[in-house]
Amino acid sequence: MSDLPGKVAATTPTQTPLLDVRDLEVRYSGVPAVKGVSFHVDRGETVGLIGPNGAGKSSTVLALAGAVRASSGSATLDGVELTGHSPEEVVRLGLSLVPEGRNMFDGLTVTENLRLGAVARRSEVPLTAAIAEVVELFPILGEFRDRPAGLLSGGQQQQLAIARTLLAAPRMLILDEPSLGLSPTAVDVVFDALGRIRDAGTSVLVVEQRAEFTIAFCDRTHVLHDGRLTLALTPGAAHDADLLTKAYFGS
Amino acid sequence: MHFGQSLIDALSLGALYALVALGIGLVFGVMRLANFAHGEIITGAAYALIFTWHLGPVVSVFVSLLVGVVLAILMELLVFRRLRTTTPATLLIASFGLSFLLQRVYEALFGTNVRTAPVASGLAGTVTVLGLRLQILSLVTIALTAVLLLAVHYFLTRTNLGLQVRAASTDFRTARLLGVRADRVIMLTFGISGGLAAVVAFVMTVQTGAVGPTFGVPLTVLALVGAVIGGIDRVIGSLVGGFLMGFASSFFSSWLPEGIVRFRDAFVFLLVILVLLVKPAGLLAGSGTVERT
Ligand SMILES: Nc1ncnc2c1ncn2[C@@H]1O[C@H](COP(=O)(O)OP(=O)(O)OP(=O)(O)O)[C@@H](O)[C@H]1O
Ligand SMILES: [Mg+2]
Repeated sequence: MSDLPGKVAATTPTQTPLLDVRDLEVRYSGVPAVKGVSFHVDRGETVGLIGPNGAGKSSTVLALAGAVRASSGSATLDGVELTGHSPEEVVRLGLSLVPEGRNMFDGLTVTENLRLGAVARRSEVPLTAAIAEVVELFPILGEFRDRPAGLLSGGQQQQLAIARTLLAAPRMLILDEPSLGLSPTAVDVVFDALGRIRDAGTSVLVVEQRAEFTIAFCDRTHVLHDGRLTLALTPGAAHDADLLTKAYFGS
Repeated sequence: MHFGQSLIDALSLGALYALVALGIGLVFGVMRLANFAHGEIITGAAYALIFTWHLGPVVSVFVSLLVGVVLAILMELLVFRRLRTTTPATLLIASFGLSFLLQRVYEALFGTNVRTAPVASGLAGTVTVLGLRLQILSLVTIALTAVLLLAVHYFLTRTNLGLQVRAASTDFRTARLLGVRADRVIMLTFGISGGLAAVVAFVMTVQTGAVGPTFGVPLTVLALVGAVIGGIDRVIGSLVGGFLMGFASSFFSSWLPEGIVRFRDAFVFLLVILVLLVKPAGLLAGSGTVERT
């Protein structure tokens, strides 16, 4: 990447994680929802975040994306502080969030949604080539390119939500409950694509409710409970009923 | 009066109101702000025309446009930006306050009496087309509106920034998560609405040749009402509603019987109430959601 390898090796923090979250706290009108969360995501790693309803998963990732304010703590992406930035700045720093609930612009066509995703594009690769790439990942989007997003099915909308986010060329991709409300086949399509995104080298943080599935999919999965991380699980634990119970009901 | 003539008059008043409503509707889309002080942008741009007309039409129109755009952007920077995270009710009240404040400022600067200048008085004449005596200004207004609507349409549907404005109008939070710069999009929208206000000021000033501190108020009130009956959360709704208000008032003026015509506004608002009873969210209401934080 650089013509000064010796010098850069000393300063490039390849040892530090890509995303480093420390003591992150989020409060809503003074009431804490995230109470000091610390974790990291390494380059190329896929990390899961699971936990029951109201645990603070969405609050955590929204704070990372700049959509809600972190009341204290820090989060750095490749050493650059994220907290205190607006969402549009965070995207430009290389972290993108696909928020819970898909959030389609119903009246805009698939192509227009994709063009929006490229507003903060961080890559030199021409947009047409990048769009061709995401269409290859999600063929249905090519088929329906002129269709208003509001007319797509839930699964197709989730694909579009991920696709348009990819067009920003994020280094750190966060997805908040991508399987929410989808049929089993649609979930397969989405996670099949996520697998390929991961294999292409993008670091992924995925928030989910479905514990077993997530633990098996991710390199590492953290359990969030009442605003605090309680456990970190590796794929081996996916079928350990004891651990799963602990994860959900606390130890 | 001849039907054809009154039709052209109604079309032109409808077009004028549509331009006002369009300016208000664009800002409402991205801010959920029904900007009452839009009228004071019109007034400011109109004063600019009156005071600079002696410098020649090109300079004067340019200065007026500049005043409209700058006033609108200043409103956003100095007032509304700070209130972006508050409720629509707060925003509305703030815009009321700003409207009254600016009226007092105009009063203090330029006096309560109207200021006059023969702005583009050549347009005030009439031409005879196919036996109809038509006001040149009416024809100019219709043509100007058509051009501006096409331009705004092109901007919103064909340009990247326009796409961002549309996305921000549908769901601001998601747009920002994709990298749409909130400040930029909102400022741009205010700027466009200020430019539209200046065009309206031009037409109005040619018509009346006189501008006072509350010059833009009646127009803004009716256009705002029009935007609401059309469905203010969609640009097309504001546009159609504004047009209908202007069209209806003009038609009532021409065709209501002699003794009743002074109740014209009562008839217009009767129509408004009927529309709202049938379609409370407006004729062409959409279902957008906006969160700006
Ligand atoms: N905008 C908000 N204002 C006030 N409280 C909020 C807000 N958003 C979330 N909360 C509260 O913060 C806590 C954490 O919510 P959060 O949405 O982060 O949980 P979650 O783990 O994502 O839940 P779910 O699985 O239901 O999506 C909850 O108690 C919730 O009620
Ligand atoms: Mg959630």
